[in-house]
Amino acid sequence: MRPANREKSMKVLILHGERKGESVLSSAHEIIVNALSLNGWQAETIILREKKIARCTGCFGCWTKTPGVCVIDDFGREVAGKAIQSDLIICLTPITFGGYSSELKKAVDRFSCPMLLPFFTTIDGEVHHKARYKPLPALIGVGVLPCPEEQTERIFTELVEKNAINLHCPVSRSAVYYSSQNPEQIREGVRSLLWNMGK
Amino acid sequence: MSMLATLLIGSPRGAQSTSDALGTYLLERLKEKDASTNKIYIQQVLTSEQGINMLFQSIGEADIIILASPLYADSHHSGVIAAMELVHKDLKNKPRIKKQMMIAISNSGFPESSHNDVSLAISRRFALGCGFEWAGGLALGGGESIGGRTLEEARGLARNVKKSLELAADALARGENLPEEAIALMARPLMPRWLYLLFGNVGWLWQANKRGCRKELNRRPYRD
Repeated sequence: MRPANREKSMKVLILHGERKGESVLSSAHEIIVNALSLNGWQAETIILREKKIARCTGCFGCWTKTPGVCVIDDFGREVAGKAIQSDLIICLTPITFGGYSSELKKAVDRFSCPMLLPFFTTIDGEVHHKARYKPLPALIGVGVLPCPEEQTERIFTELVEKNAINLHCPVSRSAVYYSSQNPEQIREGVRSLLWNMGK
Repeated sequence: MSMLATLLIGSPRGAQSTSDALGTYLLERLKEKDASTNKIYIQQVLTSEQGINMLFQSIGEADIIILASPLYADSHHSGVIAAMELVHKDLKNKPRIKKQMMIAISNSGFPESSHNDVSLAISRRFALGCGFEWAGGLALGGGESIGGRTLEEARGLARNVKKSLELAADALARGENLPEEAIALMARPLMPRWLYLLFGNVGWLWQANKRGCRKELNRRPYRD
């Protein structure tokens, strides 16, 4: 059951998109988890590289064969269920050419279609798929880069915004942090990222 | 020596995909201009070390790299991103020995071509990160209406798409960037939006009906 009052009990799913052999997200992840805990929100992290999640095959079976459920029976189904049942999804990723890492994208590809209906609707003059659930969770994208890169950061911000529109997220925000950044700065950034999110 | 054009197909549907139809048509036009060609299905090569090495070798030898891929959640399919990560890592410490150009063709199931903007921006960052010259991107909306057919089979529907790819082949054969006209032609709607939406919505109902789940289409399995 979804909580009646989102302010009091936000359920947060953190999708951790670090690739094998990498260690670039631990600082940002720890800060986010602590901030969520201080807010009294219930958070679960899925370290995606540790899970067996096949790539989406583009079969549209989750729309026209087993509506709302992916035809591939692996952890991807569980990610979709947890994502749909959460109030907020945080996509935490090393930024890859402006986008998500392949690990994070594997999960996003698998939960996006089951969240939606195949039928079309128009939002601000642009065509999108209709939502299967109402409301769908809010979305925060947190990307980590080795150092500032203006163009790359702009692509990331736009990607999160577009995802939020397509996934009918009531609220969306994004932030980019740098590996070399002082944890205090990241902490401050995360605080403002989560501010007012529960309302 | 003739130039080598390598086509990378990013769709998990492989040879049955719109990406394949678009990329193959361009490859055929380049062949007519004496280019040697090579086609790789990314999702296939990622399944083995031998395949990944073949991907590295093909990219290393290419003069023109063409990435034809579908839009998945506003970006590339995860397999394409995985391939990009691997190729970038492989090329990182290798010296650049020749000029290599890259273009991307992105197609989306939504009628507006603008949905492909982020995907093309990501392709561009990848190209520049690998030391390739970015020669431009083509964005197609309503790609589902080509639906596994070749562009020849799609006939009049693909008229502007074919013209766009012919202009692209001319430019690439001369070592030039994609012309604005090719970009504009590819971005033109394949049919009126209302008709695309009608076909689309009816098509989903038809498919569900065929699979015996029409009444369950609006199911909410994770909340009901």
